[in-house]
Amino acid sequence: MKMLIGIDVGGTTTDAVLVDGSRVEKTAYVPTDHNDLLGCLLGALDELVRGVDVSKIERVVLSTTLITNMIAEKKTDPVALVLIPGPGTNPQDYNLGQSIILDGAIDFRGKEIDRLNESQIKDAAARIKESGVSRVAVVGKFSQRNPAQEEKVSQIMSQILPGSKIELGHRVSGHLNFPRRAATTKLTLATKESYARFALAISRALEERRITAPVYILKADGGTLPLEGSLQMPVETIFSGPAASIMGVMALTPPGQTSVVVDIGGTTTDLALILSGSPLLSSKGARVDSMLTHVRAFAVRSVAIGGDSAVDVAEDCLTVGPQRNGSPFCLGGTGPTPTDALRVLGRSSVGDLERAKEAMAGVASRMNCTAEKAAEMVLDSVVEKIASQVNEMFREWEQEPAYRIWEIMKKEKLEAQNVVGVGGAAPALVPLIASRLKVASIVPEHAAVANAIGAAVARPTITLNLHIDTERGEYVTAEDGIMGKVNEKQMSLAQAEQLARRLLVERAGRLGIEEYAAEALVTSSEVFNMIRGWSTVGKLLDVRMEIPAGLLSSWRCT
Amino acid sequence: MASNAGAGKTGLIFFPAFDWAISPTHPEREERLLYTRDQIFEEGLMDLPQIEEYKPRLAENKDIARTHFCVPDVESQVTEAHLIAAGSTLTLADALEKGEIRNGFALVRPPGHHSMRVVHGNRGFCNINNMAILVEYLRTKYGHKRLAVIDTDVHHGDGTQEIFWHDPEVLCISFHQDGHTLYPGSGFVNEIGGPQALARTLNVPLPPGTTDEGIHYVLDNLILPILEEFKPDLVLNSAGQDNHYTDPLANMRFSANGYARLNEKLAPDICVLEGGYAVETALPYVNTGIIQAMAGLDYSHVREPDYVPGAFVQTDAMWREIKKTVDQVNEAWAKREEMVQMARESLGDFYRRKKRVFYDTDMINESQEESVRLCPDCPGYMTITSSAQRGYGTLNNAFCVSIPRGACSSCREDAKEEYEEHLEDRRIGYVYLQDKDRDKFKFCNNMTHTQKGY
Repeated sequence: MKMLIGIDVGGTTTDAVLVDGSRVEKTAYVPTDHNDLLGCLLGALDELVRGVDVSKIERVVLSTTLITNMIAEKKTDPVALVLIPGPGTNPQDYNLGQSIILDGAIDFRGKEIDRLNESQIKDAAARIKESGVSRVAVVGKFSQRNPAQEEKVSQIMSQILPGSKIELGHRVSGHLNFPRRAATTKLTLATKESYARFALAISRALEERRITAPVYILKADGGTLPLEGSLQMPVETIFSGPAASIMGVMALTPPGQTSVVVDIGGTTTDLALILSGSPLLSSKGARVDSMLTHVRAFAVRSVAIGGDSAVDVAEDCLTVGPQRNGSPFCLGGTGPTPTDALRVLGRSSVGDLERAKEAMAGVASRMNCTAEKAAEMVLDSVVEKIASQVNEMFREWEQEPAYRIWEIMKKEKLEAQNVVGVGGAAPALVPLIASRLKVASIVPEHAAVANAIGAAVARPTITLNLHIDTERGEYVTAEDGIMGKVNEKQMSLAQAEQLARRLLVERAGRLGIEEYAAEALVTSSEVFNMIRGWSTVGKLLDVRMEIPAGLLSSWRCT
Repeated sequence: MASNAGAGKTGLIFFPAFDWAISPTHPEREERLLYTRDQIFEEGLMDLPQIEEYKPRLAENKDIARTHFCVPDVESQVTEAHLIAAGSTLTLADALEKGEIRNGFALVRPPGHHSMRVVHGNRGFCNINNMAILVEYLRTKYGHKRLAVIDTDVHHGDGTQEIFWHDPEVLCISFHQDGHTLYPGSGFVNEIGGPQALARTLNVPLPPGTTDEGIHYVLDNLILPILEEFKPDLVLNSAGQDNHYTDPLANMRFSANGYARLNEKLAPDICVLEGGYAVETALPYVNTGIIQAMAGLDYSHVREPDYVPGAFVQTDAMWREIKKTVDQVNEAWAKREEMVQMARESLGDFYRRKKRVFYDTDMINESQEESVRLCPDCPGYMTITSSAQRGYGTLNNAFCVSIPRGACSSCREDAKEEYEEHLEDRRIGYVYLQDKDRDKFKFCNNMTHTQKGY
């Protein structure tokens, strides 16, 4: 038997599940204490494994808000940002905070078009030293096409700043978009040490509990990564909460379908899409705090409405949310909420019925109707808000830019088949949302712990983007800036794909997920002939491979 | 000049058609906007709050038929790539009119400004005229009356000029490398439009080697003052990028900074990419500069790797030539009403001209006879008899009738009669009726007697 553990440290509770093959064997939860995430995690774990033979556990997957919280609460480590922007946008137009600008430039082909200025670099290092900051992020425009300048800056600076940690942009992300690379590099460096401490504490704690199974962490793209492998990329673990819920829904609904995931909380409702069985990724990278990054994440839309949203009547017009004035009236709060409306209509048994009626009667008196009618209007308003946002998400997906004819011609119009609810208020509200959208309503049996199930059964993800320039005789991978030589000027796409596969296997090995590498597929590959004058001087080839978000093969939806 | 001050964003459609080329080694090939893609994506321009990226849509056949007579039909002259490039301009027009954006740039290929009213094939890398299709759409859908098209491509915008030749409400100004030295060999100062629209077409041929200074002289002393007087609802820029000093097909010395500054001063409501074939040395920088200028961002950091400020100097002879040209064009503009009046008095009920059009890409020779009724009550209907030859054989013969917006009943009746009369003529393969006033378009295949409409 394959015993898997999934733990999701959520905003209000920390949920844990024990999965045996394709069965949920046991669940546990503890309230989340944001000042002691490790404690919550272990508390839930201890409760879960009580009476369980821990030697049979094969894998533990954690989803944690650690990095999300650190960034939100501005508890990250200070980092000096050093940019080599070259020609183009004025760096002041980017939202990157303070930075030091250096001379030097690389172009899109990886050619050096402007030289570094050594004394300027030394001055910059001296200024950083003076400020007492010991972490330096060095990021150059097009450094992914040629990292030589970033490396040279690092080399000079490390002599002046001994013991400092220096992170280079091309090693963090090789995707096009310099300001996102700069932000991602800065955040990586700002969270790396705290994350490493957390990871170490987890390892020790599990050791004490004699749990020897490998520990994985859930990433924002719904993939798992060994704890060890994640140390290099702590930012990838942001938003793992929504990712866990979405993976949970994938695990608990029929495969291959198009579903809307609705996670209804107290003040916000998170929406996500699963299109023909694949969760929709945000088209670029995640927005972290106010910064845009290269972190792959599911597209999640937060609507400011939930079970605790305040209901108000102004000039015969009923509004729900976006603010929350405390708990629902039926749970001892001060004002009417959707939770009270659900209680009055008998759609849920949460809270005191008499108090719920009192809350709705108050609304009713200002709307000149019965309490039941008022409750219906409240729910109607909630459902309408959520349904319109769902439609907007589909519209936005359809309107995502495309750069090739076939992409524009093939994009089919997808319509939701199901609305799947997770979270506390889901059973009461999701059927209403589904009926408004005229699709099936699904509230899975284990909806309350879908997030932890998602963590438990998610498989690793991996991407590899390979860029080859045969005129320059070089290749580079976007993920970790691995560079190499190619001799074949007329390289074929098939040869390029072969090279990509080899590099992907190597990368999987470094991350500790080599056994999954065979599952990777080529998701796009294209070739451009480089013509100068009237003859072909070389080729530019781009190959993208990935293992997309998915479930372990041992899990079968029941 | 548009009344869209409410929205501050610049709309951008980037459609590089990475899967479309005229032929593998043709300048108009897949690779053309590849490095531009790399540059603008690496700059992160699409993420900036000043810029909103839009997805292109396909133009409808009707949008094409509103502007062109495609022989035999729209479907056989355009590919999906053409419909997407043309549709991009329409998407931006809608966004502009809805007030979602302040201005927009259709950074798309294939280009269009060499395509004329009648289309038998590809000429000058163009099949259909994206800019003209945009103009006709803006007038039909949004009721705009006066529009100005400024063609900043190094080649004469002969297609756009031909389409609006008789239209006094569309001001077409093209500056370009002198036609004696460059394709398409036209665009001289004396080409100033049809008798009812004299000096609403203006051409500014410039000597090879003209620099930033020369082009900005034309802008400051001719284009901007004329726009000030013409007061168009919208200013549209046919934004070719081949005036650049590294362009392999032309000989000018314009820089990325010069292009950015031009767009800042011109402040076009919509820019549509035309040519520009220095795919590596110019386009990434020029496009970045134009986007920044339109979005009100600082473009002073955009610089080609080999650019040395002050390296290009115009000779005195070039300066004299440029200033003389500008004076001549200004003079024509100043006398426009007078000239129209004189032309009307000297001509009868119809104005007729014959012309030949060469389709360089497809090696087609077309001869045309064009006739416009000089109607006292409306812009007058138009007919075109067109015969296209390839090699020694006739490709297609067509008879085209166009009813203008605001047509009087007599012009409408006569135009319909012309169409009907030619339906029986077996020497003509295809007969077209373009009713711009009612936005209805039909044509008949005389050989099979089948009618179709858009």
